[in-house]
Amino acid sequence: MAEELVLDTAIRDWVLVPLSVVMVLIGVLRYFVAKLMRSPAASPSPDPKLVKEGQVVVRARHLRTGAQFIPAKAFKSRKVYYTNEENGLLHVPKEEAQKAQAAMFSDPNMAMDMMKKNLSMIVPQTLTFAWVNFFFSGFVAAKIPFPLTLRFRGMLQNGIDLGTVDVSYVSSRSWYFLNLFGLRGLFSLILGEENG
Amino acid sequence: MAAAAVAAMATAADDEARLLRLEEQAGHGGGGAWEYLCLARKLRARRPDPVLRLGLALLNNSSARSRLASEQWTLYEQVAVAAMDCHRLDVAKDCIGVLSKQFPGSARIGRLEALLFEAKGEWADAERAYALILENNPFDQIVHKRKIAIAKAQGDMSLAVEYLNKYLELFMADHDAWRELAEIYVSLQMYKQAAFCYEELILAQPTIPLYHLAYAEVLYTMGGLENLQTARKYYASTIKLTGGKNTRALFGVCLCSAAISQLTKGRNKEEESSELQSLAAEALLNDYKQRAPSKEVLITNMLKNMKLS
Repeated sequence: MAEELVLDTAIRDWVLVPLSVVMVLIGVLRYFVAKLMRSPAASPSPDPKLVKEGQVVVRARHLRTGAQFIPAKAFKSRKVYYTNEENGLLHVPKEEAQKAQAAMFSDPNMAMDMMKKNLSMIVPQTLTFAWVNFFFSGFVAAKIPFPLTLRFRGMLQNGIDLGTVDVSYVSSRSWYFLNLFGLRGLFSLILGEENG
Repeated sequence: MAAAAVAAMATAADDEARLLRLEEQAGHGGGGAWEYLCLARKLRARRPDPVLRLGLALLNNSSARSRLASEQWTLYEQVAVAAMDCHRLDVAKDCIGVLSKQFPGSARIGRLEALLFEAKGEWADAERAYALILENNPFDQIVHKRKIAIAKAQGDMSLAVEYLNKYLELFMADHDAWRELAEIYVSLQMYKQAAFCYEELILAQPTIPLYHLAYAEVLYTMGGLENLQTARKYYASTIKLTGGKNTRALFGVCLCSAAISQLTKGRNKEEESSELQSLAAEALLNDYKQRAPSKEVLITNMLKNMKLS
């Protein structure tokens, strides 16, 4: 069970490196496509209610974090100001909360934006996964440096049809997944903050 | 989060030191003018004289200007504002003219033009221009603040207060606005409202000793036993935040303790107050001994009077 397999360096040259390069390129491409597809005007006229709500939340957060620095009376009066039943700024009666949730989905602009974002994530991932499965299956691609239990065999060795190979020897599908999650950090470095 | 804030403060101090160094260097003709201007823009440092001089030198030099290509417009804007600060309105007008030819109908240029009206003192024109910009974009924070500044410059403090309150209803997380409001209230002697504003500031940034000190001063001015006790606490927290270097806070603690003991004459005195007072008095004496030994006599006399009263 613990035999050592010698892996051809050609695997590294022709499977691991090209796969990583392709994934980086696809990520960059996806970033530019998302930028193009994004609605042109960020927000022509922001909703006054939204702006005010955002600011109120920030101010309330300050109240919570800095509560020990102001006199007790001041803190109590501010707490009442925010949570007052009749006209407290943060008080949301029950029905309104559910209405807000429904409004978010029925608002056409926001729904379109959400769909576009999800689409730009899902399509390249699916295509790349299919490509990897088609071209790079059926052989051992890499060896994971730490031992794994037998449960991982189904996940990591899908194309390898030998039942006795050590679970540390994985197929390229697992290399694809490794890259998928690992390149997020790289993307946030080269593409700016929120593009991982 | 505290570590990030400390790191940010450290780099801010570095940046300011670099700014001063570049200013000297560029002022003596040693290059680095563009870097200086970029840094001044990033730090929003208000240094109209060097910016105007260096900026004009860059703009008049057509080869340097063409090297900047698309960045020259931000330079025009920066020089226009610096010119208005130095009251070189002709230079400002030229810059704005060039910019409006390049970007007709832009809100940013509209703001500059209205600023020029303000600089010339034509308040009605400026207000009209700002109202126009606000019609298109009612959430332009800078334009709101300019309107408040106009009211303040005309000396109409109550109008400024009204505008500020309306602005804060929308943008209540803007701590600069709270600070401005607090200072205006203090100048109008509306101390209760000023105390409220300072409380907001302390909530938002509890580690800045300036706000604790100002709040303590407002409370001390308002008077009354409870306020005096709270004021003493805030003077003490200022001392803690500045590591004992703030002389005014040391004075504040002594004066508060004296005032409190005068108010509570005849009632049972709390034991804790005397320790704080004697510590503050000692620190004050040391401070004067080190920095102004000639005035030490005044301090000793004052403290003697207070301890007796």
